[in-house]
Amino acid sequence: MRDTKSTLIYILKRLCLMIVTFVIIFTICFFLIRLLPLKFSPGPGDSEYIFYEIQVALGRYTKGSNGEYYQTPLLQQFFTFVKNLFAPASYPNGDGTYTQVSRFGYAWSSAIGYMVSPVEVLFNRMPPTIFINVYSIIISTPIGLLLGIYMALRKNKWQDHALSIFVMLLISVPGFVYAFFLQYLLGYANGGILPPTLEDRNEYGWFSPEMLSSMVLPVIAMSLGSIAGFARYTRAELTEVLTSDFMLLARTKGLTRAQATVRHAFRNSLVPIFPMILGQIISVLSGSVVIEQIFAVGGVGSLFLDSINNSDYDVFQFVGMFYVVIGLVGGLVVDISYGLVDPRIRMGGGKQ
Amino acid sequence: MSEMNKNEALLPVENEKEMFEFANADKTLHDTKFETKPISYLHDCLRRFAKNKASVVAGIIILLIVLFAIFEPLVDPKSYVTGSDYVNGYRDSNFKNATPYNPLFKGTGFWDGTAVISNMKENTYNIRKLTDLENPNRPYIVELLEVNEEGGIFNKQKNYVVRVDTYAVGNLTEIISTSEYEKLLEYNEAQPDDQKVLKPLVDVNTYLEKARAKLEAEGVDASAISQLIDGTSGMKQYYQDNPSIYFEIYPVKGSNGRYTTTYEAVLDNSRKPINIYMTDENGDYIYAMKQNADYEVRVDYIEYYKFKNGFDPVFLFGCNSQGQDICLRLALGCRFSLLLGIGITIINFIIGLIWGAISGYYGGTADLIMERITDILSNVPSIIIMTIVQIQLNNNLALNQALGAVGCIVVAFLIAFVYNGWVGVSSTTRMQFYRFKGQEYVLASRTLGARDSRLIFKHILPNAAGTLVTSCVLMVPSVIFSESNLSYLGIIDFSTSNIVSLGAMLNDGQGKLSTYPHILLFPAIVISLLMISFNLFGNGLRDAFNTSLRGSED
Repeated sequence: MRDTKSTLIYILKRLCLMIVTFVIIFTICFFLIRLLPLKFSPGPGDSEYIFYEIQVALGRYTKGSNGEYYQTPLLQQFFTFVKNLFAPASYPNGDGTYTQVSRFGYAWSSAIGYMVSPVEVLFNRMPPTIFINVYSIIISTPIGLLLGIYMALRKNKWQDHALSIFVMLLISVPGFVYAFFLQYLLGYANGGILPPTLEDRNEYGWFSPEMLSSMVLPVIAMSLGSIAGFARYTRAELTEVLTSDFMLLARTKGLTRAQATVRHAFRNSLVPIFPMILGQIISVLSGSVVIEQIFAVGGVGSLFLDSINNSDYDVFQFVGMFYVVIGLVGGLVVDISYGLVDPRIRMGGGKQ
Repeated sequence: MSEMNKNEALLPVENEKEMFEFANADKTLHDTKFETKPISYLHDCLRRFAKNKASVVAGIIILLIVLFAIFEPLVDPKSYVTGSDYVNGYRDSNFKNATPYNPLFKGTGFWDGTAVISNMKENTYNIRKLTDLENPNRPYIVELLEVNEEGGIFNKQKNYVVRVDTYAVGNLTEIISTSEYEKLLEYNEAQPDDQKVLKPLVDVNTYLEKARAKLEAEGVDASAISQLIDGTSGMKQYYQDNPSIYFEIYPVKGSNGRYTTTYEAVLDNSRKPINIYMTDENGDYIYAMKQNADYEVRVDYIEYYKFKNGFDPVFLFGCNSQGQDICLRLALGCRFSLLLGIGITIINFIIGLIWGAISGYYGGTADLIMERITDILSNVPSIIIMTIVQIQLNNNLALNQALGAVGCIVVAFLIAFVYNGWVGVSSTTRMQFYRFKGQEYVLASRTLGARDSRLIFKHILPNAAGTLVTSCVLMVPSVIFSESNLSYLGIIDFSTSNIVSLGAMLNDGQGKLSTYPHILLFPAIVISLLMISFNLFGNGLRDAFNTSLRGSED
């Protein structure tokens, strides 16, 4: 009972700290992105008027007495932004009626869209990222764990050495390098076995064979790194557990090597590995900028890059904060999960 | 140990001298000397590092890359070519996308500057085959590999799979100054017959009039003629696009009996092309034509290149899409990456060390606040910092002029990598301080009245040195990795400066991956080698510095 209470207090404390951190990062990012010059892009049709009126409503421009627009000071922009979050502003249509502006502002660039709210943009870009990440986790976790177990059981034999070199290569070589090699060898060379870039999502369904086959390359490219990470970590943990005394006890009690390994060693070595898997699952929502760029995925990662390159303030703010929240929540969940998996670890325990 | 204790016990006690008698008064006793040599900590580390073969090999590879980065540009004659065209480094657009070429492998089909073109049209093949007659030393078409037939009965097309020499640029028209022309004449005179630079000029205009007359005589209507001669894919343009063509060409009739804009050579009775060289009144070929103060000449480009630059066009790793030598750029890119990696590591190391030492040593509220600050800093994405610094520097004219294009990029990198790059070092240092500050020997020293600075610098830091040095070495590849990542994504605009970055080279190559993979291959290999060897080297160092592993590996 006391333990639950202290856990709750710890979580609450962490949450409060998290909120403070978030607010500060939010403020810093706000000012940083607005130091970039706003790019005027009129968008389709006669929307110059709407563009400027929306900027006024969002607080980025102020309308002068002669109808000219000039930039609002940054601090004032910040207050308007915060105010808009709670009470969405509206802009005049010119005929006396008003249209409400999205709470989080609007995307306004050719790469992202015109007059689309960042929430909509993010949800629109989410599916390819999620699909690729989920497939990659489904593939990489079991393979990585199995490889790690195999290496630990064959420690210091040739299989272990060979796999260790392979794992070391995968960890050291930058992800984009093997992404390129995969893309060239499987996508381009000799006519290509697989599509080198992701198929158009408007043309094919998410589960159509064309789409699935075009996802193979990015999924492999994403998986290789985490397979190597899992394998190395599992090997290190398992070799440590395998040499401990309780394993000897288990063997003396008459368990076979396989039984002892699966029931005692592997379960114990999962303690530090499980949070790692959990961290992966949380990061499903955020995409790898580089891999998405190489395979033309058009997911969340490339949205982040697009928003910076086009100084699309609102999209950057929203997507950036989305990343930050995932990072912060992920860290918290991983920390808490340590306590859940292994009761010996007490969160927020004293300094002793 | 026990021997020493005995010796100590035998030492005389001063104030009770009289009460004791020396048992061995006539002898002086010494500690027995060690027969082995004493090993210092560093010596021990070095010995254990040398045992780790992989790390030693990695160290050698790093050394080789460093030597390559330092000496390649010094030795390479291409880096000394100057001129208004080469502001951002040496380039020759005639050799764009040239494949890797090593003279030792000439004619082997591997590393010999050839490429396989799989969809060459029959006409192109025939014409290129004929233009090669003028450059028998370096023919463009090296080998015919396969002929594929495409299409139905009526529009049958032949597709040639050909191995071509990407260095066989052929003959081009160049405009050169009078002084250079005189030098060229002299040079040309000294060359053996089969390596002459100058080729006879081609008189395209006279031939085009002849062709026009011929078409008119055949009754082709006027609009079709003007299209065939002057149109966007007409003969005039065709001659301009293919300056190597020195013979008469004529349109081919399509299946409907009309002339199309594909051309073939006009052959004489002995099946040889009819040349259209410019001749003077005596019927001799004209090799140069004066244009104001300059001369127009037609040159065999490879020979002309040797005359112009003084060295052969040999690109060991090929050229990129702008005709820049990849080997030279790799060396420059390694230079930049290594300098940036090491420079930023040193800065981050110093900041992180101080920050982590304070935060770890004093703990408590100071630690809590400092930890929150690092938390916040590490969460602000460096992509945005980079973009903003770059744009601000470019917009600020005074700063821009003071720093120059190179300075702007370097400063942008410095700020983007330093502002939160030291967080890793600081947290490692902090952990080390937490580990050591509570230990008995520190407590003892504190009890004896040692000041904080003494505890930090004399007692804790030396113990943490191994871990810290390792994290420092491992930071170099991570900086190189992030740099290449950012420049690959195109966040940094390198086009305004002559800085070469491995990441930007990858970016160059990505668009050409399907056709010219070598542009991407070499930077990818070098960056992988750098990362692998730095990681192995760092891991070796970590094991070497970790004295607790001593003896466990044997």
